[in-house]
Amino acid sequence: MGTTVLIVDDSKLARIVVGKALAALQPAWTKIEAGNADEALAALRDRQVDLAVLDFNMPGRNGLELAEQMRHRYPDMPIALATANVQDEVVARARAANATFVSKPITEDGIRDFVAGAALKLRAVHG
Amino acid sequence: MMERDSGVPPELRALCGPLLDTLIQSGMALTITDHRRPGEPLVFANPAFERLTGHASGDLIGRPFGFLAAADTDPAVLSGIEQALTACRALTTDLRVVRQDGGVFWDRVCLTPVLDAQGTAPYILWTHSDQTLELARREVEADLAASRQALADAKERARLAQVVGGTAGAWEWDVAGGQLYADARFAELYGLDPVEAGKGLPTDAFFDSIHTDDRMRIRIAVAGVMHGADIFAKDYRVVGRDGAVHWVSARGGADRLPDGTACRFRGVLADVTEQKRVEEQLRVAQTAGGVGTFEYISGFGTVSVSEQFCLLLGLHPTTALPVRTVNAVVHPDDAPLITSLDGGETAPPYREFRIRRPDTGEIRWLAQRGEHRRDGQRDRDARQGTGSRFIGVIYDITASKDAEEKLRQFAETLEARVEERTRERDRVWNNSRDLLVIIGADGIFRSASPSWTAILGYAVDEVKGRRVQVFVHPEDLAVTEDALNGAIHDQNLTNFENRLLHKDGSLRWVSWNTSKEGDLVYAYGRDITEDKQRADTLRQTEEQLRQAQKMEAVGQLTGGLAHDFNNMLMGVIGGLDIVRRRISQGRLSDLDRFMDASMASAQRAAALTHRLLAFSRQQSLDPKPIDVNDLVRSMEDLLRRTLGEQIELRVNMAENLVAARSDANQLESAILNLAINARDAMPDGGILTIETGRATLDRAYAARHDGLSAGDYIMIRVSDTGMGMPPDVVAKAFDPFFTTKPIGQGTGLGLSMIYGFVKQTGGHVRIDSEMWRGTAITLYLPCDGGDNAHDPGMAGMGETPEGAGEIVLVVEDDESVRLLVLDVLQELGYTALHAADGRGALSVIESSSQIDLLITDVGLPGLNGRQLAEIARRRRPDLPVLFVTGYAANAAVRGDFLDEGMDMVMKPFAMDELAAKIRGILEVRQRNP
Amino acid sequence: MTHDRQPLDELENDALTELVNIGVSRAAVALRKMVGSAVTLSVPSVEVVGRQVAATLIRERESDPLIAVRQDFAGAFSGRALLIFPETNSLELVRAVTHDELSGAEMLDIEEEALAETGNVVLNGCLATMANILQRPLAMSLPQVLRGDGQILFELSDKPDDNGVVLFLYINFAISGRDIRGYIAMLMDLPSLQSLKELIGEFIMRVVGTDGDAR
Repeated sequence: MGTTVLIVDDSKLARIVVGKALAALQPAWTKIEAGNADEALAALRDRQVDLAVLDFNMPGRNGLELAEQMRHRYPDMPIALATANVQDEVVARARAANATFVSKPITEDGIRDFVAGAALKLRAVHG
Repeated sequence: MMERDSGVPPELRALCGPLLDTLIQSGMALTITDHRRPGEPLVFANPAFERLTGHASGDLIGRPFGFLAAADTDPAVLSGIEQALTACRALTTDLRVVRQDGGVFWDRVCLTPVLDAQGTAPYILWTHSDQTLELARREVEADLAASRQALADAKERARLAQVVGGTAGAWEWDVAGGQLYADARFAELYGLDPVEAGKGLPTDAFFDSIHTDDRMRIRIAVAGVMHGADIFAKDYRVVGRDGAVHWVSARGGADRLPDGTACRFRGVLADVTEQKRVEEQLRVAQTAGGVGTFEYISGFGTVSVSEQFCLLLGLHPTTALPVRTVNAVVHPDDAPLITSLDGGETAPPYREFRIRRPDTGEIRWLAQRGEHRRDGQRDRDARQGTGSRFIGVIYDITASKDAEEKLRQFAETLEARVEERTRERDRVWNNSRDLLVIIGADGIFRSASPSWTAILGYAVDEVKGRRVQVFVHPEDLAVTEDALNGAIHDQNLTNFENRLLHKDGSLRWVSWNTSKEGDLVYAYGRDITEDKQRADTLRQTEEQLRQAQKMEAVGQLTGGLAHDFNNMLMGVIGGLDIVRRRISQGRLSDLDRFMDASMASAQRAAALTHRLLAFSRQQSLDPKPIDVNDLVRSMEDLLRRTLGEQIELRVNMAENLVAARSDANQLESAILNLAINARDAMPDGGILTIETGRATLDRAYAARHDGLSAGDYIMIRVSDTGMGMPPDVVAKAFDPFFTTKPIGQGTGLGLSMIYGFVKQTGGHVRIDSEMWRGTAITLYLPCDGGDNAHDPGMAGMGETPEGAGEIVLVVEDDESVRLLVLDVLQELGYTALHAADGRGALSVIESSSQIDLLITDVGLPGLNGRQLAEIARRRRPDLPVLFVTGYAANAAVRGDFLDEGMDMVMKPFAMDELAAKIRGILEVRQRNP
Repeated sequence: MTHDRQPLDELENDALTELVNIGVSRAAVALRKMVGSAVTLSVPSVEVVGRQVAATLIRERESDPLIAVRQDFAGAFSGRALLIFPETNSLELVRAVTHDELSGAEMLDIEEEALAETGNVVLNGCLATMANILQRPLAMSLPQVLRGDGQILFELSDKPDDNGVVLFLYINFAISGRDIRGYIAMLMDLPSLQSLKELIGEFIMRVVGTDGDAR
């Protein structure tokens, strides 16, 4: 079974950009999208999701709150928190939630380390 | 009068009526051509045109209209004129015209067909005005724009050249290693040891040599680079080992690790001391000349502007404005001010446009001069756009536009008037608009035309049978009786002017012509009331034009003086710096010397500013007793600066000279102008002599000069050893706008303004000049009746007068000023009482306490100083009052403001000045108790 | 025209300008990544003006229809940051950030949201950098796209305070190869400015106290 990545961002443009960067690095991965935290949780109920890229700044629950909530059910899922808000405080909170901090705008280079790490981890888990 | 029969075709005179004479005598250059003859030959030229072109009227008559046009005249202009002539319509255009001496000037021609009753035009009326002045102004502005651009270029070039030529200093700051490496030039500018600098120094070395006033901001800027700022671009001062201060321009940036951390901070440094100096000069010149500058880089939404630019547009002063805002101020019918080249448009290098000031709603005319440059690419590292730059200046031309417009309207209304006149001329007595009367030898009206009713209100029956004198203004009665008597005895009147009474009591000016036939006098009277008013308007228009031109001269003058001004400021700053340093070192002896030097420098600078302000102020003449020796002495310093090193200034003053009676400001301005003219006459240097003395003008000399009376005068002579003037130039030297200087170097108004002012104050000007030997211009000023030339207010610099225990009441709401005044009074030996406001002062004034003088601020809270003085005078009628004011406007109207025994002193004042004012006012009181 | 109280002295003004310079440099890097071409910046200008003057300034400076992305920030100092450009530039900016890959209809569809995202990235980059340097966290609101004239964009608070001052900060940017230009503006009221003044003071102390290479 292939790898599925969940992209959560209220901005369609940002989802397109993330999708393109991921496609360049891992063309085989399946991408599903959500526009906010509730949609994301619904998608997680419906589908097998292997990793997630979350936007920090969203209406409703923000990306950090979503990550903290997801951690209860998916303690080992590779999660990236993407934001242009590069404040030290935000970086520290992402780290505490065991999420990888990726600064926006997302580029192939910017997200490469996270994708490589996630791929390695998934291979180890799924064998 | 004198022009009546000087060649105006009678037919034209009949068409135009009296207005024509007004025009001819108005000082506006005017010609008339015959439209019915081929080639449009000239049939009349007035004296103003002769002055303008140098051609005698006799040489011009009969020549075709275009013969004065210069060889390089644009054929399109000539054909435009031909078309207007053919179509018989009015036209205004600029034509290059050759003067008699071969010089060429821009002639703004305004041609108006004179229509007769049939609607055809037998004549064309042409007015001419010299646009050379306007062009001269444009050239000055262009120079300013060019020098601003040249400066920016020079700065950039200097930096690049220094980089390329190795004269720029370079540094490299190793962040991890904490070392600063610099080359020899950097070390030299910073006063560091070049060997050490090459080997590496602690990074503090980057800041240690920076002038203390700049050090903090450079530290902050460097911190910015370390934290991620892209560009380091700063100008600052460094102090070399010898103490010399240099302005440097540094540009640099950081090499960064992938995470953004700076690992190396590198850059180059160039000496821009000279450019900074020029920049400051330019700034001063801009402010004084009322010139605003702008620079627009296409692509950006905002324009870089100078404060003056914002002020001219009526906007809040700032350094950057959005393009839309700037363009929104421009009148909707005019093209926008800021355009970019990107759309393929180009802006003309010079244009005029209207704005509506957002702050006052007022419409003003501005001129813009600018240039598009495609050089954005070159400055890659200077954070600029990639398109073009649009650089230019703007300045206000409302004054000259208004003057131009008034002249134009004047010419236009002519046409309407001509038509009216034409109709009248065709009708007889009954329809005459002018007064037609028949008077008997007994001086009694036999008959009057109905126009009498129209002009003077009385019915014809009320006039008939009554004596002429009944209708004449009492002041004109005697002359009218003489004239009438003459007319009755066969001495026909020509343009005899008197005032008649309207039935409603108002006055009418009437110009009379008479002829005697049999026993009767036939009189023809023209109502010239309106013409008189019109002549007034024209005079005012000219007055405004002169003021506008004076402002222009200020602009030029200031440019030249900015350098000196800077030097004086350096004197002040330098002295203070030394004092500060010495105090910090505890070396307190000998400080006076430096303080005195600073003070002297500051006072010189203040005097210079005052003079510029006085010169630019529009003021009426205020003749007062003047000690011309004092005045010349006070100007010596300014003159030496203005003249430069090549010219030696000699001053010979007669001793024991009595006071002259003249206007001090104007006289200063006159002497300054004469000195500048003399300087310009000696481009290779020479000697300029200013003499003062007493001179007697005898009866024979006075008789040859209009309005001059014989007697003793005070004489000021400014002579040079320059190139001199040929006799024909001397003859014209007093004409307005006559100048021997090339376009752009002078307004040509100098001598005529001096002549006008001296004449107005009852004096005389004389020129003596010999080719290659030099020129001497002598001003003769009337002696003052009194013997005291000292204006008490001017005595500031002398010994401080002392008081003798008089009691002075000081009213001032500003505590620090009050303390200062009290301190001064105490030191001078006066006893001082004081109050902070009018209410407090009144209780003192109403008490029985002795008060010898009241010193009060004008702008007090509650009761103002003026009101306080009034109340005080009611209680103590002779109490002398000295007003203190910070507003120049108050000082300007001192005449209206001050009664007997009152004086005024402007804030800020020197202690000596205050003391002199107090002494002066108290002395007057002692003389007239 | 002049202000009796000048909340920031010359050096503090310099330091604030430098802070903004750093923040905007960071924002420019972000924008450069989004559009894939060079972004040029002007030197920032910082002005502190009274509310009355501010009203005049806004009237003078913003008369045409504008589009702006607005983000409010709150923390040790609070205020509003705006990314402003002429309304006519809007689609061109969307085209730039989508690398010309969308059809006209798709672009119209995504316009609002693309603008918001762009503003988010640029303004966040700038503000977050400043917050880091001043060592105080700032909470940032969601980006909001506004259209209107300057008066609407610059409304700072509902209750007007006559004694208030406003910090105006202007920095121009232009994207090369595209007809896009605009500027970033920041507004703060007096209490925020006082807090900011203290933080700037600390920043200056850090910088000057331990020399220019302090981090």
